[in-house]
Amino acid sequence: MYTQFLGNYLLSKGYITSEQLIDSIRYAKTLHMKLGFLAIHAGYMTCAEVDKIHIMQTHVDKRFGELAVEEGYLTSGEVDELLKMQKPSFLLLGQAIVEKSYMTMKQFEDALISYQSDYKLSETDLTDTQSDKLNLILKDFYQFNSNQYLDYYIEYIGLLFNNLTRFIGDDFTPFKGTAFSSYSTDFSISQKVLGNMEFNTVIDMDEPTYIKFASRYAEDDFVENDEYVNASVEDFLNLHNGLFTVNMSNEHLEELALTPPVRERNSLLTSESKIYCIPIGFSFGTINFLMTI
Amino acid sequence: MNLGTIKILLCDDSILVRKKTKDFLLNLGCNKDNIIEVPDGQAAIDAYKEFKPDLVFLDIIMPIKDGITAVTEIIEYDLSARVVIVSSVGTEKHVTQALKAGAINFVQKPVDNDQIKKIVLTVTGGEN
Repeated sequence: MYTQFLGNYLLSKGYITSEQLIDSIRYAKTLHMKLGFLAIHAGYMTCAEVDKIHIMQTHVDKRFGELAVEEGYLTSGEVDELLKMQKPSFLLLGQAIVEKSYMTMKQFEDALISYQSDYKLSETDLTDTQSDKLNLILKDFYQFNSNQYLDYYIEYIGLLFNNLTRFIGDDFTPFKGTAFSSYSTDFSISQKVLGNMEFNTVIDMDEPTYIKFASRYAEDDFVENDEYVNASVEDFLNLHNGLFTVNMSNEHLEELALTPPVRERNSLLTSESKIYCIPIGFSFGTINFLMTI
Repeated sequence: MNLGTIKILLCDDSILVRKKTKDFLLNLGCNKDNIIEVPDGQAAIDAYKEFKPDLVFLDIIMPIKDGITAVTEIIEYDLSARVVIVSSVGTEKHVTQALKAGAINFVQKPVDNDQIKKIVLTVTGGEN
């Protein structure tokens, strides 16, 4: 999840635009981690040294590691170590951004240090999938009104991102949330969560994104909007909300219930309280996740 | 009874869930004429009375009649009915309600097909 929020951090600091970020997320899916990028991140080489090796590679048909050892920038042992080490997804995103020339390597490394510093993250945290620190990022990101169940709503959003990663894919970036008093939907599915904490959930998107989202969840290749597409998006929302009710029951002894999912098209959502909109930019389109609390 | 003869009733409001479960059962060796699909709890009760399946897979969150109500009425009709709840809302309360109502098992979504296979083979006595 830190990769997804790192993307948005870069966006919020003005390093890249949202189009560049989505383009980089899309591109990162096609990449293999490059040794030079790993070497900089590990502190074994500087950006200038990596650039020099890349230029040399345009003249000589040799691998990066081989040239780096010949030039004295790396030892053979360090090359082996880099080849064996874990390749975290946030570095792959960084490599994509740099290869697309949206940022330089130095800019990315500096931004990564700032990100870790701003959220007090360690290198290990960046490869962790869920922790209390992630909840701190979520709280900072999604400014809900003060509510006795605020921590549970934050858990809900954390679970949403985990379920999106698990069932749809990790090629997304969350954008800053916004609160509305009314919202006009496109293709949407809604479901109410009932109990002591009661709220309405809606997943909304344009039609091409709706079809692609459904395809990802169903692990199929839908080409037109039909009953299977609708059922797929309904199933995702129902499953996600269901898993939340299980967590709430097991961890907090809060018993919640769900209503059956409802399909809506071009409808106007209104609420006396706020409608919180959480846009999530996937490589295939943006989904809007709405919560009325 | 074997995989070729077992009669199974699938009840879920999701056409996708029903399709995926049916495809898995057919792949397992079940006969397509012995698998009935319905989209809600009332239809499940009606289909049970007509079709008399050996095994029922039943969701909880459905329109018209929910799964807990449906399993209660199916068991009232036939004490020997084998009903398995398959749901995303596997809270302690729902699991308890389902088992008290007479369900023989509770499968939490997302479904692990190995669990479905085990349940079906238990009913067929392990006969393929």
